[in-house]
Amino acid sequence: MAEHNNKFDFQLYVITGANYHPGRPLADVIEQTLIGGADVIQLRDKFSSEQEILEQARVLRELTRRYGVPLIINDYIDIAIMVDADGVHLGQEDLNLAVARRRLGPDRIIGISTHSLEQALAAQAGGADYIGVGPVYPTGTKPGRTAVTTSYVREAADHVKIPFVAIGGITLDNIDTVLEAGATRVCAVSAVVGADDPAAACRAFKARIAAHNGAAAKEKAKAEAEAEAGAAVTAHDLLEAQPAESDLAYLGVKINGKEQWTTAGTIEELIWQHSLEGRRLVVELDGEIVERDAWGRTSLREGSEVELVHFVGGG
Amino acid sequence: MTTVNNEAAVHPDPLMIAGTRLTSRLLFGTGRFPSPLVLKHALEASGTEVVTFAVRRINLEEVEDDSVLQHLHDRRLQYLPNTSGANNADEAVRIAKLARAAGLGSWIKVEISANPRSLLPDPIETLRATERLVKEGFDVLPYTTDDPILCKRLEEAGAAAVMPGGAPIGTGLGILNPYHLGLIVEEAKVPIIVDAGLGAAADAAQAMELGASAVLMNTPIAKAKDPVAMARAVRLAIEAGRLSYLAGRIPKKRYASASSMPEGSLHAPFDPEGAL
Repeated sequence: MAEHNNKFDFQLYVITGANYHPGRPLADVIEQTLIGGADVIQLRDKFSSEQEILEQARVLRELTRRYGVPLIINDYIDIAIMVDADGVHLGQEDLNLAVARRRLGPDRIIGISTHSLEQALAAQAGGADYIGVGPVYPTGTKPGRTAVTTSYVREAADHVKIPFVAIGGITLDNIDTVLEAGATRVCAVSAVVGADDPAAACRAFKARIAAHNGAAAKEKAKAEAEAEAGAAVTAHDLLEAQPAESDLAYLGVKINGKEQWTTAGTIEELIWQHSLEGRRLVVELDGEIVERDAWGRTSLREGSEVELVHFVGGG
Repeated sequence: MTTVNNEAAVHPDPLMIAGTRLTSRLLFGTGRFPSPLVLKHALEASGTEVVTFAVRRINLEEVEDDSVLQHLHDRRLQYLPNTSGANNADEAVRIAKLARAAGLGSWIKVEISANPRSLLPDPIETLRATERLVKEGFDVLPYTTDDPILCKRLEEAGAAAVMPGGAPIGTGLGILNPYHLGLIVEEAKVPIIVDAGLGAAADAAQAMELGASAVLMNTPIAKAKDPVAMARAVRLAIEAGRLSYLAGRIPKKRYASASSMPEGSLHAPFDPEGAL
């Protein structure tokens, strides 16, 4: 849902894998990943009974809440509802997205595993809040699944508008290749929960993601500044002139005082994404009012501060 | 201002603010109504031609459109957005510009509260904001304390009307200082609108009898048990108060004076001294 795309964002997505840490309790290992900065926790357990998974979900719910991190439950919608998880993650084989959305309501997060661009676009159109893109590399958690390689990551980066997270066999050794292919969010299982020090592993992952995203943002800002300096070329022209890649980039902006990510390139797109078209409202961008007829040609940039105001009862 | 004009009692008595002719002397605040429907009916019952409202951030997490204008668009109304939420002149000017950019006209109610408990307006920032907004081409209606000198200064700064409060916003205490209000009205060359603090219809009538040109009311109507009935009561009270003012009240006296002449009385008047 469009609402969530703005609220739900992350860099490092950690999935449980109890088989990677025999002898260490799940809660301890996950707490270490939270200490290390995991942005989302997904409970995935293909082996335990539903009752056991419910117990685990309760423990993780309490834990993630303490750290203010969303909890996603793999497959089990009922468990997600029972423990008040933030959402569910479903595979291609699992029950269909529309049914899940009806049961979970508009506010819960739904993520979908995808293995091709076709599946990705279907999930996006169906109202998924994010998708998994993978497995990028062969992985023990999905034995038998052919790796999709970084070429699918590149495709997703070019065409998918909702957040996508690269997943499958990603380690500190190959993460840079994944990020260079266009991923800005990464999922790790064994490389994190199987590490001797999960907190340190998370910190290392996050540092690499942040470094890469920071460099990408810098490059983009530099390109925009150069474009601005050029006499006839506006930042918007640049966005239009460049292929999809920069059009689909996420900008960190502040809207009505809240930091968020957006794929909107212009004020008009932002209005549209929030379903505010046709409403009597006024837009202020970095302290300057933007007249309605200029919305389409007014670009957002990294760090833009946008105010969307309207009129409410008052005396 | 104080000449008694009986003609006005029968003929239309329009109020001019910033070149706009108004027949209703009630300015209507739209906040805190129990529902949009009640708001609509109360507006209708009030006969108002001027509505006030506030500028706020859109709640992006709420799909529901809680904008007040959607309930007003089918009426011909003069819009008076306020700058509530502003803490100083800079913030008030910013809010005023946002409101004007929505295409709602050039009227602006300057409202700069300086104290969270009393919500009383900051006189210095209010004057500053009025000066700046007048220069920017707004028709400025500042909400102010009932200080006669400050009201005069706001008028001199170019305010289209000056709006002293009867009492702090939402208190329903009525006109706490009728003496000041009388002085303000006597001195004014622009309309004086009593804004804030009134409690019910009688207070509106009193404001009009004291010579106010109009009354701005919100809470007493919106929070009345029956807002629609109160809207009508206030409308009638304002008409009554205005007529009463124009008709000219009698001077107050310390002692009684009989309504009928003493000549031809059937009995001698009571004499406490027994002198007769």
